[in-house]
Amino acid sequence: MNDVERALQTFYSMKLSDIMPLVISMPIVTLDSPIVDVLKLLRTRHHVWVVSDKESMKLEGVIRYLDVMCILLPPENTKARFGNISAIFKSILGGAEKAADVMEHNIMAIDENATVLDALTKMRRYKVQILAIIDEKGTLKGEISLRLLIDEFLRLMKIGGVQWTQHGSSSRSEWH
Amino acid sequence: MDATWILFTLGVALIFGKLGDHIMERFELPGVLGEILMGMILGNLIYFGIIKPEYLALHSNETFEFLARLGIIFLLFLGGLDTDVEMLKKTGGVATVSTIMGVFIPLLLGYFGLKLMNYPSREAFAGGVLLTATSIGITVRVMMDLGVLRSDVGAASLSASVMDDFLGIALIIFAVGTGSVLGLISKMAIFFIITGLVAWYTIEKYIHFSEWLHVEKGVLGMVLALMFLFSALAEHWFDAAIEGAFMAGLVLSKLPEGKRIMDDIRAIAYGFLVPVFFVYTGAMLDLRVFTSFDALSLAGVLTAIAVIGKVLGRGVGAMAMGWNVKKALQMGIGSIPRTEVALVDLMVAIHGGAIPQSDAPKFIAATLIFITVSVIITPPLLKWAFKEEVESMKKGKTEKRVEAVKETKRRIFSLKRPRKRP
Repeated sequence: MNDVERALQTFYSMKLSDIMPLVISMPIVTLDSPIVDVLKLLRTRHHVWVVSDKESMKLEGVIRYLDVMCILLPPENTKARFGNISAIFKSILGGAEKAADVMEHNIMAIDENATVLDALTKMRRYKVQILAIIDEKGTLKGEISLRLLIDEFLRLMKIGGVQWTQHGSSSRSEWH
Repeated sequence: MDATWILFTLGVALIFGKLGDHIMERFELPGVLGEILMGMILGNLIYFGIIKPEYLALHSNETFEFLARLGIIFLLFLGGLDTDVEMLKKTGGVATVSTIMGVFIPLLLGYFGLKLMNYPSREAFAGGVLLTATSIGITVRVMMDLGVLRSDVGAASLSASVMDDFLGIALIIFAVGTGSVLGLISKMAIFFIITGLVAWYTIEKYIHFSEWLHVEKGVLGMVLALMFLFSALAEHWFDAAIEGAFMAGLVLSKLPEGKRIMDDIRAIAYGFLVPVFFVYTGAMLDLRVFTSFDALSLAGVLTAIAVIGKVLGRGVGAMAMGWNVKKALQMGIGSIPRTEVALVDLMVAIHGGAIPQSDAPKFIAATLIFITVSVIITPPLLKWAFKEEVESMKKGKTEKRVEAVKETKRRIFSLKRPRKRP
């Protein structure tokens, strides 16, 4: 078994709780945050979590990078037809002002005891790049992103010059 | 019929449907009208004997008819999936009351109007249901052009249109359902317990089971299976498969997994089956029906009620919640357009027997006329209703521009003025 295969075997069996970043380093806004704050975060991140408030950290939704298209496009360009109405509400010209107006309520989540292989399988199955880690009360505990998994794999391979901290992501805090 | 010609018809229907969609979008009209128009042209090539029916399987072909019905099922499934239950819960009072009034007033006016024209009760009720659901697309476009989409009228119109579809779809059960009212209500209760309550609480386990299978597109396959099973149940009990498809979509809409498969469903629906349904619907319209006085009078009555009933219903509802006449009128006019759900209800009513086959051509013609009229008259009416707001916005912008120019001149002047040296 060569180094790559060995690294992959270890990689697959890693628990998500061991590699997920600290909540403080994650891109998070509250329900009433202006869309501009969301867009500022999305310049450098692929998603933004929306929580009810900073104390309870109850996860309410997510805004993904690709959602920016619906936010910025005029509603007419979304071809408002039956079965495609919800996109209208996400447009700034359609009346969206706050994070709550543009977020996706349904959040793809995974258990913190799941493995990297489980996370990758789920990401592939549903074509998502980010999974939330929440507890039974719906409190945001962490996240697993494709970027994080790439970094972790490169760290295992001891290549790529990834500077790794104890809790995964080395990103600065992105509270808004 | 030879499979070759069914495949050929499918190809032709899709090409013409998409072309029609494109042409109508160019004229800023709903694309669905283009698909219907193309279907009408193709269908009448057969009715007028220009093309032999064996070469274009648009009429009396079980396969094509079944695919069109599948199109309705997929459309409604997609409608359910697209629903945001959380947002529905937050719908404001004005939107809720005006939606309810905006559904029931056209329904009652339609029912009594058709009864006066000597249509039997069941058929009259089905005719009324056709007038209930609004299509928001054209209103959104015009309101956005006018810059009033973000007003309270715009916001209420958007949320009302979602609820309105919901009611329009639910009410068709009463038109096509047979047996006693009590029996129908009991069946409905059981149906909603199974497809609503039970499915709502067990759907997560079902999706986890689908994931556990670890097969290619396993979740999609299992989700489609659920849609078909619910549709079968609704078809068996109410002759309205759409109710099952809509409920399956609605239940799945609460899960992120459900939302993530929407793109796959949309690809099947809008890439294949939905255009087939609209072309098929258009093809059912035999233009010779317009020589009949009955068809024209039905079209006239339904069109008048479609317009007046909605404006009156939504408007009265909004006024009852404290809005003034002007805003109520704006809200009412925004709800005039009808497209997809009216056609879906029409087809369900015909297939379910609520509208007998002998009257089907008249109802198809009348529905297509009131749909066309409703989408054509809405933009100028909305422009008229929002005239003052648009003018005051323009005036405000001009004043702001004048102020900005003055401010710039003042700054330039202060920069040019030589500073006193100490």
